[in-house]
Amino acid sequence: MIAFARGAAALVALLAIAAAPIGKAPPPPPYAGIYQPQGVDEIGAWREADEDERALANAPEVIRDEALNGYVRGVLCATVGKDRCAATRIYVLRVPVFNASMSPNGTMRVYSGLLLRVRNEAELGAILGHEFGHFERRHSLERFKAQRTGTDLLSWAAVLASMAPGYQARAGYNTMRWSVYGQLYHYGRDQEREADLLGLGYLNGGTLRPQAAASVWHNVMAEVEASSRARGLSKPRYDLFAFSASHPPSAERAATMEALADPQGDGRDDGADRYAKALAPWLPTFLDDQIKLNDFGASDYLIAMLAEPGWTPRLWLARGDLYRTRGNPRDLVNAAEFYANAIAADATLADAYRGLGLSLMKTGRPSEGRTALRRYLHLKPDAPDAGMIAMLAPAEPVEP
Amino acid sequence: MSVRRLRRSALLFAAVTMIATPVAANGYREKGKQVVIAGSTLRVTPPRDWNLLSIRPGKKAETWTLDGEQLNDVTWYAGIAADEPLVREISRKQKPLPKLKQSTLLVEIPELLETTYRTERQIGDFQVTGSAPDPFLGQPGIRFSYSYVDSDHLPRRGEARATLIGGKLYMATFDAPRTHFFDRSLSDFRALTDTATLS
Amino acid sequence: MYVGRMLAVAVAAVLSLAVVDARAQERTAAKAGFELPAGSGKTILVFRPTVSVGAQSTGGMFEPNGDWTEQARKNLEAALAEQQQRLGNKVISAPESYGADAQLVAEYAGLFAAVSQSVINYQFFPGNRLPTKKRDNKSSVFDWTLGSGIAALPGAKDADYALFLYNKDAYGSTGRKILQVMALLGPGINVKSGEHAGYAGLVDLKTGELVWLNADNAMGGDVRTPEGAQKRISQLLEGIPGSTAAPAAAATPVKTAAR
Repeated sequence: MIAFARGAAALVALLAIAAAPIGKAPPPPPYAGIYQPQGVDEIGAWREADEDERALANAPEVIRDEALNGYVRGVLCATVGKDRCAATRIYVLRVPVFNASMSPNGTMRVYSGLLLRVRNEAELGAILGHEFGHFERRHSLERFKAQRTGTDLLSWAAVLASMAPGYQARAGYNTMRWSVYGQLYHYGRDQEREADLLGLGYLNGGTLRPQAAASVWHNVMAEVEASSRARGLSKPRYDLFAFSASHPPSAERAATMEALADPQGDGRDDGADRYAKALAPWLPTFLDDQIKLNDFGASDYLIAMLAEPGWTPRLWLARGDLYRTRGNPRDLVNAAEFYANAIAADATLADAYRGLGLSLMKTGRPSEGRTALRRYLHLKPDAPDAGMIAMLAPAEPVEP
Repeated sequence: MSVRRLRRSALLFAAVTMIATPVAANGYREKGKQVVIAGSTLRVTPPRDWNLLSIRPGKKAETWTLDGEQLNDVTWYAGIAADEPLVREISRKQKPLPKLKQSTLLVEIPELLETTYRTERQIGDFQVTGSAPDPFLGQPGIRFSYSYVDSDHLPRRGEARATLIGGKLYMATFDAPRTHFFDRSLSDFRALTDTATLS
Repeated sequence: MYVGRMLAVAVAAVLSLAVVDARAQERTAAKAGFELPAGSGKTILVFRPTVSVGAQSTGGMFEPNGDWTEQARKNLEAALAEQQQRLGNKVISAPESYGADAQLVAEYAGLFAAVSQSVINYQFFPGNRLPTKKRDNKSSVFDWTLGSGIAALPGAKDADYALFLYNKDAYGSTGRKILQVMALLGPGINVKSGEHAGYAGLVDLKTGELVWLNADNAMGGDVRTPEGAQKRISQLLEGIPGSTAAPAAAATPVKTAAR
């Protein structure tokens, strides 16, 4: 079965190379304007999407910060243009997963995990444009039809397999399962290629730097590799990440993106400064949501990526928390160092004193630890855990 | 705590394997009768009637409820040892859960519960709202509260009590929808955990 | 992830076997002493019913059908109004709400779903019944509530009861029906064709108590037609104590927990 999967993967890769375009992506076709669904399947899918959107609009996970929503919408509009943008309602969701999606009725879901991972407007535009490409080409409808055919085949196989009991038939069913999913997978690849082409077409025609699309894929691969390595997996498991499972990354894909990008756009602004400013109020929250997911490799990779323009006290703090929670003896020594770096850059960062104090207490330096914890209580007397920390570090008559 | 998901997969498993396995009956925890938690030395004498769910979240844990785990869920963790997760791991390699460490301090137990919930349920909104020293099982312990939006999109609140004895974690958590159910049974949880002893 | 889910869906759909005899399960229960006789002058606030109608493909996948859903929604709403007129009580629709109000409605709808799920799992399904509920059942107790905070819902002050309705219909496609026959003739597997689930619940808007719940995974009536919707509504509302809702068409008798 593994051999089969490997064979299928090789075949898919071959097709990808054969179909790789040579030049830059053409501009997208003129926008068809407001579209109304046609046919039973499509009208049904829209109705479901409308119902889902009703529920989504009132879901507790939705981030209703006007500034953030306005900003994300602005990046989408700058990428796909005003007309297309008007067909979309954006919902930013506090879900620490790298993903974005678009329903057939124009509902776009942007997950906080995506906002944490892209580094500038051009990268965000590349992802949103790609999803918009699926929407414009009405891929979800095709995928639905393909899935239906796929599951139909599986049902028959299950019945046939149980009609002829025995190991052989079961094995046959299993093989069948693989081939049906292989087909679905491949089918998705064609749509992916089409959405890539459209996405780059938008970017080329916009104001942002189209070369950013390729860097998204390099980063996705690097993160998955870092995550898998830290978990001791022998191979990167792209299927364990929502985004890379539905958007299989590969070196070829990144190269294709590179080729599709208009070379003349290379000098354009990627909006990194504006992006950092817009995300600043949310970054500590999104970062905290990520480092508490127990994915050491991915989190460490992301922190390092965010620190590329320069380390900030918040990033040192996050790295300290990440190492302290993993909690091997060497991690605790590292954590203490990271917290100390945070404090050196910002002596008022209360949580860094907390982390420093706890790390020192656990590595045989209790009196220094208590000093740090008292500093934490001094800076944050109303901390939710003030009572617990005060017990570890009883107050001294003189504040250090 | 993970009973909800386990239950779902158990039903799916029953469907898949085509075995009409009768679901093991849920247990009765009668008022005033002392019982042992998860085969450990932790003993509880419930001040009112409770139910024990047949599906356990882990080898050293069990879940009690009044109306079903979606509405009120008391989960006991009895003697989690160093390098063990709080609940059963679905996949040790692909989706590892946070582990208790030899060096974990009592003040860090809320973080352990938080990271376990977040990792297991892929939720993004979880907040520890308070913690304070409070003896549990006659030992120095911690009582803490939290709130989160669960994977069924229903906002929930929780309270927990924990202590570390000889490097092992003993903890009881109470989780319920923040609307009505949390306030209604919080005093029952407190009265129940007050009867817990270690023999 | 995606493939895994697909697999789970496909396998579960293919093998939706009758693991449990559906008839052994109770479907309706009411709080002791609750009655809603005709002419009692009560007002019932109806929250936007969840209606979803489609076909079921051979593989068991749900294919939503927009036209059917729209027809069904219209038919069900008309049938509900007519049925309640016959019951002699006033039915009003919950006002469309926005912002914080809408979020509160969503939270209560979620809570109603959680409570209903618990009733179905732990009271209606005898093999899985919670021992404390078992004992309660013996003394005819049906004790479930959403809490008195429900009185804050928009429109609640003008009504006595809230009615929550849920309907999902999947009509078996030809392929699914052939599969059903083949599976039964061949290996003797019971493959389900079509899904017709519905549940309805009445909540006291003053106390938050769930006074009556009816949940059924095998409902009758083709909701795509006005007559079918009539039948469905009378099945859904069947068993409200005190009501004399004469079913428009013959409906299967149900067991009641609170008798």
